[in-house]
Amino acid sequence: MLAMNLQFFSHHKGGGSTANGRNSAGRRLGTKAADGSSVHSGSIIYRQRGTHIYPGNNVSRGNDDTLFALVDGVVRFERKGRDKRQVSVYPVAEAAK
Amino acid sequence: MIKATINHYHHHVSSFTITGHADAGEYGQDIVCSAVSVLSITTVNGLQEVAGMDVDVDSDDKNGGYLSVHIPVTADSKKRIQADAILDTFQGGMTDIASSYSQYIKLNTAN
Repeated sequence: MLAMNLQFFSHHKGGGSTANGRNSAGRRLGTKAADGSSVHSGSIIYRQRGTHIYPGNNVSRGNDDTLFALVDGVVRFERKGRDKRQVSVYPVAEAAK
Repeated sequence: MIKATINHYHHHVSSFTITGHADAGEYGQDIVCSAVSVLSITTVNGLQEVAGMDVDVDSDDKNGGYLSVHIPVTADSKKRIQADAILDTFQGGMTDIASSYSQYIKLNTAN
């Protein structure tokens, strides 16, 4: 006996499947230490994909382009050339000048 | 487009195969699909339950859109008469649907 299915010769719900419908969780990118805030060595300052912001003084770039402090100090966001930006960390004494 | 083929052997319907989707409307509102579905499924169930025929049925229950039925030769004249009545009714219904909704269903009969 076949079960009675009135839609046996009809496309599935929605007229067929789509290749879409997937999404990934947000990566929480962006600034993690604001301009003028003090950070410790190794602290993450900016999470990014690619070099939206470049590493400046006492700042280095990780494998995933994350910018982190190399020394304790105060965060400074600065311009780099005509249209780029960089972030630096100045030790407290230097920052006071 | 639904494609149906009804094969005959010595003037008896020996097998039929129906493939495809009607595409005559949204899921749940496709009248041609439901007409062909109810006619073909009722035919299979009638052959098995009413005529007591041991028909060979192959269908894609998961995705739908495929049903192939082979009717064995039988020496039992009563079964044969009942099966012929069911199958001839089925063929008549399919012919009528195909003539009224030719853009959604194509019917071939072969001997």
